[in-house]
Amino acid sequence: MPVSAFLARLDAASPLLLWLLPLALLPLWVSGQRVTPVPAIRAAPSDGLSRAIGRALSLAGVLAIGGVILALAGPYRRGETVTRTGIGAQVSMLIDRSGSMNETFAGRQPSGGEESKAAASRRLLGEFVGSRAHDQFAVAAFSTAPMLVLPMTERHTAVRAAIDAIDRPGLDYTNVARGLAMALAQFGTGTAEASRVLLLVSDGAAVIDPRVQGQLRADFAKVRPNLYWLFLRTKGSPSISDRPAGEDTPQAAPERHLDLFFRSLGVPYRAFEVESAEAVADAIRRIEGLERDPIPYTEQRPRRDLTPVAYALSALGLLILIAGKLVEADLRRGRAAAAEATPARGVSRERRAA
Amino acid sequence: MLARNLRDRRLQLLSGALALVLLTFAAAPLPLTRTGYEILAVVDITGSMNVRDYRGAEGGPASRLDTTKAALRALVAGLPCGSRLALGIFTERRPFLLFLPIEVCGDFAPLDGTLAALDWRMAWEGDSRIAAGLFRAIEMAESLGTDLVFVTDGQEAPPLPRTGGPPFPGKPGAVRGLIVGAGGYGLSPIPRYDDRGREVGFYGETDVQQENRFGPPPADAESREGYNPRNAPFGSSAARGSEHLSSVREPYLKALAGETGLAYAHLAGPGGLLPPVAAAATPRPVPADLDLRPFLGAAALALLLAVFAAPLLRAPGSTSAHHVPRGKKV
Repeated sequence: MPVSAFLARLDAASPLLLWLLPLALLPLWVSGQRVTPVPAIRAAPSDGLSRAIGRALSLAGVLAIGGVILALAGPYRRGETVTRTGIGAQVSMLIDRSGSMNETFAGRQPSGGEESKAAASRRLLGEFVGSRAHDQFAVAAFSTAPMLVLPMTERHTAVRAAIDAIDRPGLDYTNVARGLAMALAQFGTGTAEASRVLLLVSDGAAVIDPRVQGQLRADFAKVRPNLYWLFLRTKGSPSISDRPAGEDTPQAAPERHLDLFFRSLGVPYRAFEVESAEAVADAIRRIEGLERDPIPYTEQRPRRDLTPVAYALSALGLLILIAGKLVEADLRRGRAAAAEATPARGVSRERRAA
Repeated sequence: MLARNLRDRRLQLLSGALALVLLTFAAAPLPLTRTGYEILAVVDITGSMNVRDYRGAEGGPASRLDTTKAALRALVAGLPCGSRLALGIFTERRPFLLFLPIEVCGDFAPLDGTLAALDWRMAWEGDSRIAAGLFRAIEMAESLGTDLVFVTDGQEAPPLPRTGGPPFPGKPGAVRGLIVGAGGYGLSPIPRYDDRGREVGFYGETDVQQENRFGPPPADAESREGYNPRNAPFGSSAARGSEHLSSVREPYLKALAGETGLAYAHLAGPGGLLPPVAAAATPRPVPADLDLRPFLGAAALALLLAVFAAPLLRAPGSTSAHHVPRGKKV
């Protein structure tokens, strides 16, 4: 990675503390070493090694203080978006919140151990979310009006919180057209980076106003999602494939005509007509299986905490300073001490330094 | 020699600093509990919330709903991590839950996105029966185990009958929380939209119901013009009033707050919700981590500065044997 690109992504959690950094210059001016009075500085011969050691000790002090201040400011490298390839998809869920979703598949109010259609979808969709790490989800609900519940996100806990709300009492009608428009808008306006899935979960259909049909067709052509319709059919109600006995109009058989509309869109489309919770589970498994293409997905690499690096620099400076202190000689008492002591390595080095 | 060096005060300080710095690599964050909140926010998205009687960020007019959204987004950003927020919208006579509580830090992006996308077009019906909606929102908060923040302008549509609104069926104070009154104190016109969502002017006096004529007629009905007990119990002339204009109905909201045991606060602008919410909501312990490294680092810095600043602090010109300015380092 180029150095400039790396530097551009550096940041600090509390950058104001960096104003303390001039304190790190203190060691250039003051030494931590013992000071010995000598009558004249010229008395000692000029020694390159001494100067080098003195300079190294000053720099070590700068490093020690600067490192700690830097660490206190909490340096980090900003997160970045990297594109990888994995198994996953962008799934925009459109969930029917009309009142009939709170009935069982038999069309009754749930009693005892019975599960409503909404509760079954809640349980099974909740399992679907998070079964694959790289899926992104958006949730929209619709009854009379479409409601944006969650925008496209990879935070699966949030998506599950939204799905957990779908078995709450629903509203009145099933107005699918505006809901579809909102679910399509959830993919955003950009070009497709991942495979896009529009999952419609409903227990009924409604007539799509011919005036809206044109706009919806255009939107589908632009977004090009794979469309899945999980049709939770109540027992005894018309099926997608049933032709009405009388006139075959959208008003007489809205389910059949919604299916025909979906077929005419020119996007990959499958309808799953299910009449029990087991069938819902099976349909969701099949959708998962169909969306198995490797797709590029963007991953947000989290920011990296650089505080330990700063502390490590400080520790290095401190180690040098301590080494300097340990081998330091006291010239006034040093002669006497040196006479007693065996000529240790530290002492001889210190002599040279002096 | 070495022993003498070991006794050196500055060596001891440096060793202490080194020990503290090395400790930062071993110190695990200390788990502790912090005060957080669990809130169900229910936002009124009925027509009167479109009234533009706030000032926006650029100084232009801003609608009550936009200001509410901005205030809630600021609230979410300001709540301590570990707090959770559920969101519902209100219209007609009931709240509609969008999602169960979501953590405000980790899941901030989707939460913020949903708040930004709140729209009056999500409303499924035009009525605005505030009291009924509030009572059911309180029930909802109770079932979720959260506190309630209910944002509304308090304008009942249709107007309440003379006999007053429905009584509160629950136990006052069982759910804690806050009613937030949105809107200015002066009357403002309510924008009107056509069936394709385009603004087409404002409501006029005859466009809305000015008086609730369900139930028994008021006591003064007999003195009204054209009063007839059977054919015109409310008088014969159309009701006049200012229901087509809107202001925040503070006395009504305060009465509702008193009846239900909630607190009341006025929404002054696109911020400032955190203090009243924190005052009204139940503080809940949420797990948090305390990073010990700044304390260790600060102590190490203090020791280091002591080492290097000590010679400076000594009186200059002192004849101490150990201090000769600019002496040669050895």
